[in-house]
Amino acid sequence: MNTKISSDFKPDAVVVGGGIAGLQSALDMADQDLKVLVVERNASIGGHMIALSKVFPTLDCASCITTPKMSAAAHHENIQILTNTEVQAIESGDGVHRVKLLQKPTYVNFDKCIGCRLCEYACDTEFRDRFEEGLGAVRAIAVPFTNAIPQKAVLDAEHCLTCGTCARVCPTDAIEFDQKPRRLTIETQAVIVASGFELNSVTLKPQYNAARSQNVIAPMTLERLLAPHGPYGRVLRPSDGKIPGSVAFVQCAGSRDESIGVSYCSRVCCMYAIKQAMLLSGALPLADITIYYMDIRAFGKGYEQFFQNAKAMGINFVRGKVARIDPLQGGDLRLHVETTEDAENPMQERVHDLVVLAQGMIPGWNPAQISPVACATDGFVATPSLTAPTATTAPGIFTAGTAAGPKDIVDTIAEAGAAAMQACQYLYQKREAALVG
Amino acid sequence: MALRTLTAEQRQALTALRESMGGISEDKRKAQKQLLAARKEIAKLLAAQPSTVPQIAEALQMPPHEALWHVTGMRKYGKVTEAGEDGDYLLYALVSDDAPSAGGHSSAEGR
Repeated sequence: MNTKISSDFKPDAVVVGGGIAGLQSALDMADQDLKVLVVERNASIGGHMIALSKVFPTLDCASCITTPKMSAAAHHENIQILTNTEVQAIESGDGVHRVKLLQKPTYVNFDKCIGCRLCEYACDTEFRDRFEEGLGAVRAIAVPFTNAIPQKAVLDAEHCLTCGTCARVCPTDAIEFDQKPRRLTIETQAVIVASGFELNSVTLKPQYNAARSQNVIAPMTLERLLAPHGPYGRVLRPSDGKIPGSVAFVQCAGSRDESIGVSYCSRVCCMYAIKQAMLLSGALPLADITIYYMDIRAFGKGYEQFFQNAKAMGINFVRGKVARIDPLQGGDLRLHVETTEDAENPMQERVHDLVVLAQGMIPGWNPAQISPVACATDGFVATPSLTAPTATTAPGIFTAGTAAGPKDIVDTIAEAGAAAMQACQYLYQKREAALVG
Repeated sequence: MALRTLTAEQRQALTALRESMGGISEDKRKAQKQLLAARKEIAKLLAAQPSTVPQIAEALQMPPHEALWHVTGMRKYGKVTEAGEDGDYLLYALVSDDAPSAGGHSSAEGR
């Protein structure tokens, strides 16, 4: 792992994004003896997956799968990783891609930082931790999270009060207040866009009143609540710390809905809701857990059995649509539901302590304005070839994972391997042509 | 924790960083004062007796979600620990300074 790459470093391939798709692609190419640069905009690699509690349908620990991949990539002799770095443009011509990068200052010399966290413990400025979806607190200088890679402190200039205490306690003189943003251009033969996804906002549908209640939460927020090292150390509702006795999942709350601009299915919400419901029933054995759904899309290997297992565990599945959520005094939420399961009484009102809205997956990055890569009408990277599903509209630029469209982790990893293979094939054909020519 | 004196170069760089940020705004200073005051009050309350989040919120006249956020931060950095349950709520207690795992180290591990 290197954080100070010179402009004359010429990797065979640049991978945009250090999530599970980018890391898998990088590892597969690096194992073919190709030099790879991974560019990650956050302070740690790992993407969304490192923040998850467990994965479906096996209920394996997510970080137990992700952390070894992160570590393998960080220690691979053929992989270099730049964190805190954004891709500003990809210019392609004559078979070469010039990837223009902006490396943001961390105000910490990563070569000197030993990850001891003395600076973090000494700092007394705290703000809402984005990694914990705003539920937890983080200090103005901190290692991003426990299993972050690199395991180095990063100073947040937006919140820092410039008191200098971090520099006064650092045992290795790693704090560098004079760091500046660094621009560099990397020339490469191939690029893999693995820029991932974001979830649309829980406040998109005003009738669900997420802006008025802390107890209407996003699925990633529940992931952090369920994670063993989550912000509260257990599942509590965010408005007042109550141990919830009744939790509802509202499916298709951010997708399959043209009124919010997401007409497609996000493909993973049914399965993660079932997974979260199963995990909740373990964490809160006495809680009532209800999933309000239009239809359950359990299409993957072992997924239908997973769904049946959840029903057998006592998770309530109610077919219908939630029309409105009203916050009540004290933090509870009244759901107005139209269900198809009770012909005599289709309009029902039910009260829950906590509601999870299944948000829609939207693209994490738009490369169309700054590179030759075109996006489809849904905003995800266009993949026009049915026979080369990871090829983009630009020769030598490939894509993997949720950058190309909503998909689960299993499909993401399979596609990342395919993208790496196509990139390898492209590079070897170019080498062969150069030798023959 | 031993505090070293900043070198002249470090002080100069720190000043330059502060200036590049347009100085420290009044809002930022106010927010920091409020943070430290709230933490002090919560510590005082929990030193007297373990309390739930609604009890802390009521005693400090702050919204319960803010009280929860403060307790979460204090728990993470080893100042507060869980001390049982009271109905549907957890009780939080202050960690004494001479307890073996009272520093930020132990809880910061637990993220």
